Amino acid sequence: MEKEFLEQGLNHNRRKFLSRLSLGVGSVALGSLLIPDLFSGKKEAEESLMRALPHFAPKAKRIIYLFQNGAPSQLETFDYKPQLIKNFGQELPESIRMGQRLTGMTADQSSFPLVGSYFEFNQYGQSRAWISSLFPHLSSVVDDLCIVKSMHTEAINHDPALTFFQTGAQVGNRPSMGSWLSYGLGSENENLPAFCVLLSRGKGNGQGVYSKLWSSGFLDARHQGVQFSNSEDPVLYLSDAEGVSKDQRRRMLDQLAAMNDLSYQEFNDPQITTKVQQYEMAFRMQTAVPEITDVSKEPDAVVKLYGPDCLVPGTYAANCLLARKLSENGVRFVQLYHQGWDTHDNLPNQMIGQAKDVDQASAALITDLKQRGLLDETLVIWGGEFGRTNYCQGKIAPENYGRDHHPRAFSIFMAGGGVKSGMVYGETDDFGYNIQENPVHVHDFQATVMHLMGIDHEKLIYKHLGRRYRLTDVHGKVVNDLIA
Amino acid sequence: MNSTTLKNLLENLLIFWCGLTAILLVGGENIQLPTWLQVVGRLHPLLLHFPIVLLLLAAALLWIRDENRIRYFSWLLLLGANLAGVTVVAGLFLATEDYSSDSLNWHKWTAICSLGVAVGLYFLREQTLPILRSLSVSLGLILVLTGHFGAELTHGSDFLLAPLKQPIDNTLTLEKAEVFNDLVKPILEAKCVACHNANKVKGELRLDQLTGIQKGGKSGALFVAGNPELSLMIKRIHLPLEDEDHMPPKDKLQLTDEELEILRLWVISGARFDQKVAELPKEEAFFQLVANRFSTEKNYDFPAADPDEIASLTTFFRKVNPLYPDSPALEVAYFGASAFDPKSLTDLSSIQNQVVKLTLNRMPLQEADLSILADFQNLESLHLNFSDVPGQQLEYLIKLPKLQTLALSGNPLDETGIKALEKMSQLKKLYLWQTGLDEGKKNKLSKALSSTTIDFGYLDKGIIYPLNPPKIKIDKTIFEGQTEVILSHPISSTEIRYTLDGSLPDSISSPVYKNPIQLTASTSLRARVFASGWIGSSDTKELLIKKGTTPSSYSLATPPNPKYAAKGASSLFDGVKAKANHTTGDWLGFTDTPLDITLSVSTTQPKKVELSLLLNEGAYIFPPQSVEVWVGYKGKWSKVNVAPQPIPTQIQDPRFGLVAIPLATSPFDQIRLKVNPIAKLPSWHPGAGSKGWVFVDEILLH
Repeated sequence: MEKEFLEQGLNHNRRKFLSRLSLGVGSVALGSLLIPDLFSGKKEAEESLMRALPHFAPKAKRIIYLFQNGAPSQLETFDYKPQLIKNFGQELPESIRMGQRLTGMTADQSSFPLVGSYFEFNQYGQSRAWISSLFPHLSSVVDDLCIVKSMHTEAINHDPALTFFQTGAQVGNRPSMGSWLSYGLGSENENLPAFCVLLSRGKGNGQGVYSKLWSSGFLDARHQGVQFSNSEDPVLYLSDAEGVSKDQRRRMLDQLAAMNDLSYQEFNDPQITTKVQQYEMAFRMQTAVPEITDVSKEPDAVVKLYGPDCLVPGTYAANCLLARKLSENGVRFVQLYHQGWDTHDNLPNQMIGQAKDVDQASAALITDLKQRGLLDETLVIWGGEFGRTNYCQGKIAPENYGRDHHPRAFSIFMAGGGVKSGMVYGETDDFGYNIQENPVHVHDFQATVMHLMGIDHEKLIYKHLGRRYRLTDVHGKVVNDLIA
Repeated sequence: MNSTTLKNLLENLLIFWCGLTAILLVGGENIQLPTWLQVVGRLHPLLLHFPIVLLLLAAALLWIRDENRIRYFSWLLLLGANLAGVTVVAGLFLATEDYSSDSLNWHKWTAICSLGVAVGLYFLREQTLPILRSLSVSLGLILVLTGHFGAELTHGSDFLLAPLKQPIDNTLTLEKAEVFNDLVKPILEAKCVACHNANKVKGELRLDQLTGIQKGGKSGALFVAGNPELSLMIKRIHLPLEDEDHMPPKDKLQLTDEELEILRLWVISGARFDQKVAELPKEEAFFQLVANRFSTEKNYDFPAADPDEIASLTTFFRKVNPLYPDSPALEVAYFGASAFDPKSLTDLSSIQNQVVKLTLNRMPLQEADLSILADFQNLESLHLNFSDVPGQQLEYLIKLPKLQTLALSGNPLDETGIKALEKMSQLKKLYLWQTGLDEGKKNKLSKALSSTTIDFGYLDKGIIYPLNPPKIKIDKTIFEGQTEVILSHPISSTEIRYTLDGSLPDSISSPVYKNPIQLTASTSLRARVFASGWIGSSDTKELLIKKGTTPSSYSLATPPNPKYAAKGASSLFDGVKAKANHTTGDWLGFTDTPLDITLSVSTTQPKKVELSLLLNEGAYIFPPQSVEVWVGYKGKWSKVNVAPQPIPTQIQDPRFGLVAIPLATSPFDQIRLKVNPIAKLPSWHPGAGSKGWVFVDEILLH
């Protein structure tokens, strides 16, 4: 009897439950009629992009990033540490090193003797910033610079550190900074790619750069960096094949576009339209690129400003000049890499050579942008992927020594584009080993750069493989102190 | 309808509301409402009052001692929850109408919680009283929160607490803000005027009017400009709180640290009443303290242009863009000098009130008519670098009221242009690099535009740099018959000089390169560039070798070193120049044995034989110590005189060498060459004393 009651109750409840459930489902169905694309997520990407865009005029419109690949020593350039000269040859105190991991190149060294800069330092400009004698030209524009002496990073070897700087992750499958900005802000000049890459190589110990550093990762391929080579064809495969005239080219592209359009109508794949647009851009680049890469019309004063090397294709100076020309013509992000800063040994000698390559041209770029009224809207960044140790790697002598990799503190500088000018930010300890105040992590740097371009780094998001990605991952704080 | 049916119906409806709410939440911003449902949505502000009242009432019942209270409670709760459902659904409809803020999010989710708790409470109505009471309390709290966030939506986010806060004018821009009116006065009004006004003149001091502030009160003047220590007001506000003279009095609202500092710094800066914040020296503490209180962003209040018009003006060569999304202000940039049509500027007249920035760098403007720009009332920045803009065109810019930045670098300025510039006192920044102005003209212009920052740009301060070497363009290193050589240098004003005899060109006697050089014989070409104001370049060398005739037969007496054997003797006559690297496999290398080769000549008798060598002292590769040559006629050999070879005196970069040996004019049908590698490297060499190498890639008969 009891059982029957129970079943009665259960049946009753089940019926009730089912009828109510159907009502619930019915209401869901009714409501879903109001949502036309309930199950397609295509609008999400566009909307998240709109959210990230600026609601005020951005400080910087373009970036020229002078990457010093191989990691120039901060202790011979911008971070003046007289203590190291005084304590020459003395052991690095454990209270300073604090168990810091070292690379395989010096971890086995039996001693870590401190070594100071071979080069003299002086104070320059109104900001009285310390700069070494390696950079006579840069010290003359010091009041335009914003030197950050308190950068720090996570990686201790070149490739991961470089990849981290450029893509926000140490593994190489993410979009590069230039790609993110191209994605977020698009191109200014529709006849040129928004992201261009220029390579040069000094005589110092070099480290490789790979195309993954300017890859667009999971973003659309049109945001990928376009590498300019120093040959007669600055952009590979751009010129028409021999015997093909401009008109023939045009007709060929028109036919191709018509066929692509047919297949777009059949498959509706947006990649097809992207491809057509890329063909068209390449066609326009055929006129735009030679106009820009032609340096023969530059006035003599420009050559004197950058130094005569700027006319030798493939040099750092030539790339700086080209970077200015590209930037002036609306390229959002020009990325330079200058190799040869990996000074494990023979540091003073190697640095003299490297500094000679970059000093005049880097300063010239800043001056040149300034005198054209472009520095206000162009952000110039100069720096490597990490710093170098305050102790000597290998044999030690005051005039010949080496330095290993050091991620805990290093210096970079920025200029123009909404950063404070004539500023020195952050401080390291007397040994130049640890940061004492105002640390700036690589993600903070990236967040700040994006902020200057008017983008909220927390909102510029792209969903890929079911996850949302940012340049700064889940980190990064805008360093407001650096912003003018 | 009996009560059970009604109850059942209402219970079913509860589930319905919950389901609808869930799907509307999933739909989010993708919901597209028909218009009649929008009306339902707009009933939300009306509906919301009912569930609040009913639910709070139901909750309150739980504290009334009555045997029927659970019944009444259930009914009120059921009704209230249903109305809550209706209200939430209507609210979600309303939310699709362009509301977006944090308040909305909070309101939405607290409302959904309220609904959830109400529904839950109803289905748990048989539980014990303490459980019901505690749930009811939370329901009440959530309802209050929901109501609060809702009110924020309609009344503004600081509606409730606004009377407690000081008004801060965030929209004020740094440019417009005044030190006294926008920084000092608000403090006085908030903290002082209550006791020092027309009705209540404490200490005979009135702070509600300018004269009172300037005059001071019973104890004297308020401040000594520039000296806070002697200023009565600053002294009194800094006294300890317990002090009788401390202002404001202990029981009144006190000044904050920031306010204290603003008043002190104002006095230090001179206690002026007419100064603008932007005029404060940027490096002073006062400016740095207050600057970020004002917006540096410009607010443009002119109407936006028609988006279709903007789109139609944008081409591949002209970009028209708002400064940022939704800004009415536009920037226009032209790209591609070869595609530029000066007439296209007139297209911009339809957006003349919106353009704030125009970039025409490098566009050929010789023929352009800029009169159209005279109507661009909001133009702030104009870039005309390297555009050859004629000076008289600048006159159209004189009257532009907002023009702040003008970039004219690279345009030679004439008198008309300078005159026009002198009248543009509205400019803040002017860029005049490479405009051909002498010192006198620069000074005169700087004087006329005293409030403008003029950048005359880089001046080469007499530093003389060396030129980079020229380029030599050749067709092939080993040529047949005749070949053309082109010399070039990227700086067009330079002079290229060259020699064909292997000597170093100089700036006086060596011939100047004008047209491509035609060569008919093997030549060692060297070229340098010279220009006034520069140090002459280092030289560029190129060795050109004329292809010789092929001997009818040849044989090597001793084979080359097996590591550098190339394809045997045949490589010496293949007419292919090897690269300047001895490991390419195209060179024959000899060290222990000499290169000893005998050639048979059948047809034309050569006048000269040439050896094409590789030189690379660093790799022990030297010129031969000696070359011995014999000619043979019908088996009789006679030796040819060969000039001794010069020995290098230092290590140089890898390069090519050529040894030319004139042959006898008497008839011969065979030639024997013996090329002896250096036996002992010279003493300056790191490998002094060891054997050297000879590398040969071609033997040429002419």
